[in-house]
Amino acid sequence: MATTFKTFSANDVISTKTLLHEAVPITGAIVSGTYSDLNIKNFSHGMFQSIYDYPFLSSSANHLFDVTAGYSPSSKLSSSTTSVPFPVVAQSKKFNIYNQMAQVLMGFDHLGQVQRFDEDGDLLAGGNKIDSAVFVNFSRLLVKDEIKKGSFSLTLGVSPYAPHNDDTSLAALSSGDTRHVFNKRIKLADTNAQNDFRVNSPAGEYGILYASVDHGTNVLTGDPAAGSTTVRAGLIYYQAGIAVITSSLLLRAEDHSTNTAGPGIHSGYTRADTLGSGLLHKDLGAALTASTRGVGGFNSTRPESFHQLLTGSNITASCDGFRSRIHNIAFNNTTELNSTVYFCRANHNEFNYSANPTYLTGSKIRVKQQSTDQPVSFVTTVGLYSADNELMGVAKLSEPLRKDPTNEMTLRVRLDY
Amino acid sequence: MAFLDNSGDIILDAVLTDTGRFRLAKGDGSFKITKFALGDDEVDYALYNKNHPSGSAYYDLELLQTPVLEAFTNNTSMLKSKLVSIPRTNLLYLPVMKLNEIYSTNNSRHTSGAYLLAVNKDTEEALGIDASNNAVSGIMYGENVGAGTTIRVDQGLDTTEISPAFTIDADLVETQYIVEVDNRFGSIVNSTNGSITSPSFIDDDNIATYFFSLGTDIGIVSENTERDAAASTQTILGPRGTFIEFQIQSSLDLNTGTYLFTELGSTTTVNSTSVYYIDTTVRLTGATTGYRIDIPVRFVRKV
Repeated sequence: MATTFKTFSANDVISTKTLLHEAVPITGAIVSGTYSDLNIKNFSHGMFQSIYDYPFLSSSANHLFDVTAGYSPSSKLSSSTTSVPFPVVAQSKKFNIYNQMAQVLMGFDHLGQVQRFDEDGDLLAGGNKIDSAVFVNFSRLLVKDEIKKGSFSLTLGVSPYAPHNDDTSLAALSSGDTRHVFNKRIKLADTNAQNDFRVNSPAGEYGILYASVDHGTNVLTGDPAAGSTTVRAGLIYYQAGIAVITSSLLLRAEDHSTNTAGPGIHSGYTRADTLGSGLLHKDLGAALTASTRGVGGFNSTRPESFHQLLTGSNITASCDGFRSRIHNIAFNNTTELNSTVYFCRANHNEFNYSANPTYLTGSKIRVKQQSTDQPVSFVTTVGLYSADNELMGVAKLSEPLRKDPTNEMTLRVRLDY
Repeated sequence: MAFLDNSGDIILDAVLTDTGRFRLAKGDGSFKITKFALGDDEVDYALYNKNHPSGSAYYDLELLQTPVLEAFTNNTSMLKSKLVSIPRTNLLYLPVMKLNEIYSTNNSRHTSGAYLLAVNKDTEEALGIDASNNAVSGIMYGENVGAGTTIRVDQGLDTTEISPAFTIDADLVETQYIVEVDNRFGSIVNSTNGSITSPSFIDDDNIATYFFSLGTDIGIVSENTERDAAASTQTILGPRGTFIEFQIQSSLDLNTGTYLFTELGSTTTVNSTSVYYIDTTVRLTGATTGYRIDIPVRFVRKV
């Protein structure tokens, strides 16, 4: 009997899972500079800032990531826990941001209290908490299903001098100039995270970001080289696509021991601490807390340390200060492809004739001269059908394949979900 | 759709159809792929040159250069012609399906080239009878089904090389027909007893699909027992298989209103009567042999 369909057997269908990775490079020039901040979207609520790859008013713009910052009510930056010598602006919004991120990413303890971000992810052991942080929330467009573990890196310029949009003399500094913002750089990376990550977060898996020197000397205390896992500087949540970066990354270690105006960010910090809170090298210069306008580069209108900025300005200003120091971001994303592979097997005695109207002249088969000639057909399309003949999927071959009784073929059709 | 790059390795470009996604989204288990078919929509077998002077290796040279389009996601646009599995390799003739407009005066198309379906009684009365009180050919009655024109399609070997006195090989007899019609316009009716049939499914584009089988759908699919070569009622010249006969009942939307006519159609004049009309095709496919024809149907409503 003539047939046009062939039923799949159990051996013809298999389901597979494939992890697809794409490299995602984000250059700092896009984050600040190339589009004169027309690609930076600020909101009237002032809770975060969105970065696009093109001026955001254009329909061609793609959302890259958001930046926000906040600190815990238990932080030393909080005016409720200590007498902060800086002006305090919009503190409740910063609490809200910190608590929101903490409750989503760290969850709650057994008493229903929001867990604070932990420097090493070991919640039972206590240890240092990250009480003030910058949050970088990557869009799903970039992250897809998750960030690939061990692939994340973020390079920050920590030179004392930062070019500001309104200071042309500093903005024009050549990249080789020692005062240039990217002359000294640190790199945050989730080194070896593919073998060492945490799973005690309600938001999925996360790794620890370690700081190392990317460029320059006397950048970090001890100047750890790339791949070092000695200086913890934040956390990276892979499925959530969020990097939590401790604000002490942008403070000098020395500041915490000598600068009475600069409270630390770790809950264990006291003003008597000598090391451990600020991460930058003590010789990096006074620039990050300098009092000269245009130097120290976190606020384009007022010289401030990052903590002064974090407490004394709105969130948007902190985002601007941090964003302008981003030199590079790179990671690999992951897309989980669930596939079903259908093996469409055409045996030697199958699919050798066609119902194509051009196959016949009258009722005579065009490709045969006499009945003993072999029938020939050509395949261009594979149709996948339900039991009641509804066409569910289609696969097209890039060129016609000849089918006759002397050959057999297996067409492997993969549907991804 | 663009052409697929055929400069390198053979690739397979696979997509879910809109119906596939529709079934998947329903989440009721109706998305289940159980079988496959192979198609050759782009292939023009007239390019197969059996008389190529350079020999048999060159017969299909031109045909193999046929560029192939990317997959369409519209389920009704693909696999219009399928490859057929017949274990025998010694066939020289394959069956076809042809409109039989000569079986009776009630089977022919209207002079406009399509079957005209009068969607309501007013239109039936205006178009179905001419000034001499004779029935007008090609007018189907969409309200009073059972009267008017019937669509009949015959199947068999359309060749004078084999006498119709021969019985067509059993594996070439079409035993099941698939009829596809736009469900917004009408539904298939058994022309013998006027009963309305039910579609097997209606896809996301409102295309209703009906299956009619020999022995099951009596009055719709029948065996063609006419063996006389000189029979003036037959359109198949050689051995005959089965035939399908049906009418169409107009949908309530077309019967009671003009919205779809103004949305999808236009107006014209038929036999001096102004009518709204919608042109469509009823697609008939042989489930066994895969052969397919499109039948033009014009739904008309008196203005």
